[in-house]
Amino acid sequence: MFLQQFITGISIGGIYALLATGYSLIYSLLDFSNWAHGEFAMLGAYFAIVFANMVGLPFMLAALLGVCGGALISFLCEKLVYRHIRSTGAPNMFLMIGAMGLSTIFQQVANLIFTGQYRSFKFKLPVSTIEIAGAYLGVLDLISLVLTAVILVFLIYLINKTKFGLNVRAIACNANAARVLGVRVDRSIASVFLLAGSLAGVAGILYGMKYNVFPTMGNIGLKAFVASVVGGLGSVPGAIVGSLLLGVLETFVSGYISSSLRDFFSFALLIVLLLVKPSGLFGVDVQDKA
Amino acid sequence: MSEMNTPAYEQKIAILEEKLNALENKVNSLESKDPVLEMQHVEKHFGGVHAIDNFSVKIEHGQIHGLIGPNGAGKTTIFNNITGIYAPDAGKIIFMGEDITGSPPHKVAQMGIGRTFQNIRLFSNLSVLDNVIIASGMDATYNLPQAIFHSDKFKKREKLLNDKAMNLLEIVGLQDKANERASSLPYGHQRKLEIARAMALDPKLLLLDEPAAGMNADESLELVDFVRQIRDHFKITILMIEHHMDVVSNLCDYCTVLNFGKTLAVGTPAEVKSNPEVIRAYLGGNE
Amino acid sequence: MIEAFNNINAAVCEFLHINPYIQGVIILVCINVIAILGMAVLTGFTRLFSFGNAGFMAIGAYTAAILIVRHDFNFLIAMVLGAILAGFVAFLLGSLTLKLKGDYFLITCLGFGECVRVLLNYFKKFSGGSAGFPGIPNYSSMLFSILCAVLAFFIAWRFIHSKYGRNITSIRENEVAAEAVGINAFRYKRMSFTFSAVYAGWAGALFAGYMMYVVPTNFALNKSIELITTTVIGGLGSLTGSVLGAILVTLLPEFFRSLSNYRMLIYGVAVVLIIMFRPNGLYGYKEFSLKRLIGRFSKPKAEAGKEAAS
Repeated sequence: MFLQQFITGISIGGIYALLATGYSLIYSLLDFSNWAHGEFAMLGAYFAIVFANMVGLPFMLAALLGVCGGALISFLCEKLVYRHIRSTGAPNMFLMIGAMGLSTIFQQVANLIFTGQYRSFKFKLPVSTIEIAGAYLGVLDLISLVLTAVILVFLIYLINKTKFGLNVRAIACNANAARVLGVRVDRSIASVFLLAGSLAGVAGILYGMKYNVFPTMGNIGLKAFVASVVGGLGSVPGAIVGSLLLGVLETFVSGYISSSLRDFFSFALLIVLLLVKPSGLFGVDVQDKA
Repeated sequence: MSEMNTPAYEQKIAILEEKLNALENKVNSLESKDPVLEMQHVEKHFGGVHAIDNFSVKIEHGQIHGLIGPNGAGKTTIFNNITGIYAPDAGKIIFMGEDITGSPPHKVAQMGIGRTFQNIRLFSNLSVLDNVIIASGMDATYNLPQAIFHSDKFKKREKLLNDKAMNLLEIVGLQDKANERASSLPYGHQRKLEIARAMALDPKLLLLDEPAAGMNADESLELVDFVRQIRDHFKITILMIEHHMDVVSNLCDYCTVLNFGKTLAVGTPAEVKSNPEVIRAYLGGNE
Repeated sequence: MIEAFNNINAAVCEFLHINPYIQGVIILVCINVIAILGMAVLTGFTRLFSFGNAGFMAIGAYTAAILIVRHDFNFLIAMVLGAILAGFVAFLLGSLTLKLKGDYFLITCLGFGECVRVLLNYFKKFSGGSAGFPGIPNYSSMLFSILCAVLAFFIAWRFIHSKYGRNITSIRENEVAAEAVGINAFRYKRMSFTFSAVYAGWAGALFAGYMMYVVPTNFALNKSIELITTTVIGGLGSLTGSVLGAILVTLLPEFFRSLSNYRMLIYGVAVVLIIMFRPNGLYGYKEFSLKRLIGRFSKPKAEAGKEAAS
């Protein structure tokens, strides 16, 4: 029972991590929380549903197109909206309000096109549970766990070992200095949005396979946001740790206390943690210099 | 012209003169006591970097004291330690005989230390007048119900605040711009407004962070006069950071030269200018 | 007492031929105006963001409802207590969380709002759970709601046009500079946060008396988002703008019934466009005034006159 809960928790945490790393990456570059990020997951999942269930493409291909869809929407948001707001020199809060508006738009559009109906992928896994050491583990959970692990390892490699990652870290440190040194800042930011959007797409499809696809499923973005705050805004490893913690906590609270109190515990943990560590687990405290 | 000869006008002047004398006496009694600001062995480091290393200074009443040194010498860090934006890692800061080490910024301001910022920080979207009124908030001694019901006290206090702010704006020559948005002022006026705002605190010590930054020779000369006027008019003490050596020599009674957080020299501008270490730091440094 | 109010209201409505539907719309406008005024002080003037104001509305609504239904309180006292309790909770929460920076503060507000909703769902004996809390007497008549909204505007206006308003605005403009002129930023932020929660609680209590029945989903995160959306549409930094925004956002779907499905979509688009092109809202930092409107029309004439004279 314990192992089973734990694995489920880690696999949900993995889905959160795919989104939370996106929050962190964007926050580290632009100092704002991309409120619309969860909607990229929802839209990615809907793209996949359309291609798999309505067009009838093979599932893997449809999933790939779904991921691309998430990435594309994320990219367009940056290109058409965020970049414009940044260029006016408005405070960061305005970026966040803009993101909130976008989030509302995406949710409403999904609701108008697809209605509030719950949709599921027609694709079914041949074996739904396997028994390991007396615990029944969902095959989907295991697949999702492995897939997320691979993607996250790749992401960390990308950030720490490649030229692209170096550029991103340079911009996070000081965008103007990076620009002077020849980093193409806007292009790197756009690439990060593409990357974050595709991770969100993967998260949306995994979540949709585990549960369902519905217009308000973007609210998992909220959980991922919480996870990235727990880990410390702007820190990718922090986002991953925060997500796993949150995933495990949620499953244990649902399993042992009450599933209706699940969110209460998540948010209470968040508030208490921030009171002890005001910048999250791995966050850096930045002071406003006079 | 005709107004100046009326008895009412003369009476007004007499009253004002009396008030001024009372204030002067008060100031003189304060003057005899401790230095206005004393910093003892103050240290501040960020990570491994010693932003200020064993910094001590004593500023007597009425002085204009200059802090000079190349970029990154720790001058603004000293200001931030005095005004409570950072708490020093070691040492003591004593203002008018009271230990203010580590007090929060608003407390320090309320005790009578006004400041300006290197990169001007005005309340940009508010009117010039409001910028000054906000800073004299300590004179707004009414409470919330009095504000909501517009009690007599509220009206009296608001009128007083308004008059005080207009008076300050007149002194700095911005009275005609009172209702303009602060961000619409030209650069030099913004600097003056920032000083007027700091003066609204009725400070005993004024900290000026590079007041002549971005000004040409003529403008700096005008600024020198302006700062001296402010000092003489309000009988305050001034500590200023300045790069322009001519401004420093013209204006400061004493100055302290810093380099990489360490104190290189202390003395009158003339003494400091001939100090070989200072010459080496300046010629070998970045200015 | 409720009856006396409702009788006067009925008489006035009959005299002015206001049908119950219009009355309902006006009551909703008033409730939104009060909640938005609170948001305007917090977001528009202090530039603090709260995704938890629906939670404070819930506290006001449930406190008033429970005090009236279970403990036979006078509705006015119950409403005041509901607003005060919301403010008190905000004061405590703010004491803990307002030291956090930017988005960290914001997420604690969001978390708080969600916690309130989850707890209301969970403690069924206390709040009726997800089935809701019924049996609230109808005390939010049109006349009473208008009275409340006018009073709320009056207080907010005087609050903003005093040292309190100036100080919170200075924090919005430049917190470091505000501290440097002796303003205790933390204290004033907490005051602004408490103020907005009192208004949210007040609006919640009125809402309970209008619906006569409250459920936790009335006060979900979406409600908080709607409040922020309306505030942005009305204009950050303008009380009159916020009132007009609240009226506009409440009335539009009533006038254009066919658009009601697209309501939130339109607001979402409006918010994005406003933030992109008119970030200070429709009114910006200005208050609506007839004088200026007239001034604007007469100005060209005056200038023409001057030119002719020279």
